[in-house]
Amino acid sequence: MRGGNYLKKFTIMTMIFVLVFLSILMFYEPNKNFIESTSRYNLYAPQILYWGSRGQDVKNVQWQLVKWKYLIGKVDGIYGAETYRAVRRFQAKNGLAVDGVVGPKTAAALGITLRGTTTPASAQGINRKNDEYLLARAIHGEARGEPYIGKVAVGAVILNRVKSPKFPNTVAGVIYQPLAFTAVADGQINLTPGKDSIKAARDALNGWDPTYGSLYYWNPATATSKWIWSRKVTLKIGKHWFGL
Amino acid sequence: MDRKRWWIVPTVLGLALVVALVWGYNEYSTKNELGVALENHYQRLFFDVKKHVENVQVNLSKAMLSESRDQNVLLLSQIMNEAYFAQDKLAQMPITHAETAKTEKFLNQVADYSYYLIQNHLKGEPLTNKQRETLANLQGNSATFNNELAKLQSELADKNFLLGSLNRRQSKKVREGNEKIFQTSLVSIEKNMAKTPELIYDGPFSDQMINRKPLGLEGDEVSKKEGERIAREFFGADRVQEITAFEEGKDIKEIRIPSYTFSIRPKNTSKELAVYMGVSKKGGKVVWMANARPVPKGKLSIKEAQDKALKYLKDKGFDSMEPNYYLKYDGTVLFNFVYKEGDVTIYPDLVKVKVALDNGEVVGFDASSYYLNHHMRNIPKVNITMEDARDKVKLDFEVNSTRLALIPKGNEEILCYEFKGKYRDGDYIVYINALDGSEEQILQIIKDENGTLTF
Repeated sequence: MRGGNYLKKFTIMTMIFVLVFLSILMFYEPNKNFIESTSRYNLYAPQILYWGSRGQDVKNVQWQLVKWKYLIGKVDGIYGAETYRAVRRFQAKNGLAVDGVVGPKTAAALGITLRGTTTPASAQGINRKNDEYLLARAIHGEARGEPYIGKVAVGAVILNRVKSPKFPNTVAGVIYQPLAFTAVADGQINLTPGKDSIKAARDALNGWDPTYGSLYYWNPATATSKWIWSRKVTLKIGKHWFGL
Repeated sequence: MDRKRWWIVPTVLGLALVVALVWGYNEYSTKNELGVALENHYQRLFFDVKKHVENVQVNLSKAMLSESRDQNVLLLSQIMNEAYFAQDKLAQMPITHAETAKTEKFLNQVADYSYYLIQNHLKGEPLTNKQRETLANLQGNSATFNNELAKLQSELADKNFLLGSLNRRQSKKVREGNEKIFQTSLVSIEKNMAKTPELIYDGPFSDQMINRKPLGLEGDEVSKKEGERIAREFFGADRVQEITAFEEGKDIKEIRIPSYTFSIRPKNTSKELAVYMGVSKKGGKVVWMANARPVPKGKLSIKEAQDKALKYLKDKGFDSMEPNYYLKYDGTVLFNFVYKEGDVTIYPDLVKVKVALDNGEVVGFDASSYYLNHHMRNIPKVNITMEDARDKVKLDFEVNSTRLALIPKGNEEILCYEFKGKYRDGDYIVYINALDGSEEQILQIIKDENGTLTF
């Protein structure tokens, strides 16, 4: 009889586990998506400096910290361990929240303004970073198994489409055109792109085009559309055939 | 004791069932809501496309009739707007590219052509008979397009067809039937669009811009073997471990610069870190090169890198090249070199060189726009002096440097005075036509610690 008891306990435990699991499923997902999208946004919001930040702003912070003897070391524009500790010391001494992050308040206490407020109003927020990152994501989703040149080629095809009258006229328009890319349809485009994909996106944006103006590419092993084979075939890079 | 607890298992199971049902219903209704939202979005796009195409059609008719220049400019700018809107929205509908490519091209070209006519009007050139004819042609096309859309619309309304079902799982029969209606009309629209004659005008979407051939390549066709030799030599024959050519398709001749493409494996490196190169078939010139080697953090300065790039260009036979902008990324610096003839900077003849900052090696080279554009030019004599040109620029624009430059405009190249400077803390370049003094272009320059971009 004791054996049966255990069996019941086991069943009950399983049920409870399933219940808990289901409730997690119901309520957890939206939250996770939210965090993902905000972290992506953070990638390109340079108004806050923290461990790992680089650039002129970091240099300005370091200059100030060296001047006031919080930091003994090089001014190299890289927010590393020493800068982090110096910022914490500075924040503790000046009655700021001690978090080792240079936000607007700490920056003001340091007597500097972070870039973004110093660029002229006419130039603020104008950059290529959004296109670059979106292109990198598309390349990562579509061609992450390809050699470097195959990645650049996929990026180049997207940019050739932007310039072609047969396609939408923006990078996002081309990438998100319905039924155009499988990696967009199945959500692989939302993966975090690797270093290689970002590098390939930059090279493609800077003009490298191993496809010489091609507008299409397909993988002969997986392509399902008959229409794609009616394209003018130009060359093969990695696993993909390119065409006009 | 056990008997008293017989109810536990069924209760828990029942509870689980209830929870599962609630969960399932929740999912189901969320799915429906999303489906409806998507369908509403598609419906809106469809109605919008129809409306925009109607507006294009009506305004084209008016533009043909109008004799007033001002009225024409207003109408044409509306046509441009409406055509771009229609194109943009059409491209967002869940239809495969194969079914809309020609329609999208038609709409883009209508917009682009209108812009070209606006420019002509503003220069004081009235519509020619040929241009009127083209407008009539475009008008006819937009009318058929509009007609087909109207037919499609009523047909879809009859069948209560949901656009969203085009990319949703649905009972196969219903879907196929609906797709058929949709596709037959799209195919007939596409067929009509294919009848649009090639539009010859100056604009980025014109057929002559798309189909243009390189001007800067001379000489005979080189064989693949010869191409391979050229690639080896360009990279340094003694550093090549292995060289392989990329597989070519049957239509390789139709690409912008027909070329052989090679993958070179340098000595002492793994297979992934190849160097890639394109050698033009005509004349046997290296059009581009890309080295996939990752570059660690280096210590070279921009100036040192620029010297390396200049020396490299000289070795490869490019004389009188002038560095213009640079961009620092991934441990490398990318320089834009522009050809200089006398004291005139020729912007279309652009060569890009990417230098690794760790050892100064050139890891990227792109001369495609140089070979597309470079040719013997008869640069005209300037008609107005630099001082006169300066007067055409806004008075409080703070000029830092001035020079003569040839800039591309559509299919042409125009000789301009280039004024670089500041206005309200922003950096700009203003181009004043050196022949007639008109303001041709303004570029905004965005600088940061990594270099310069122009917009």
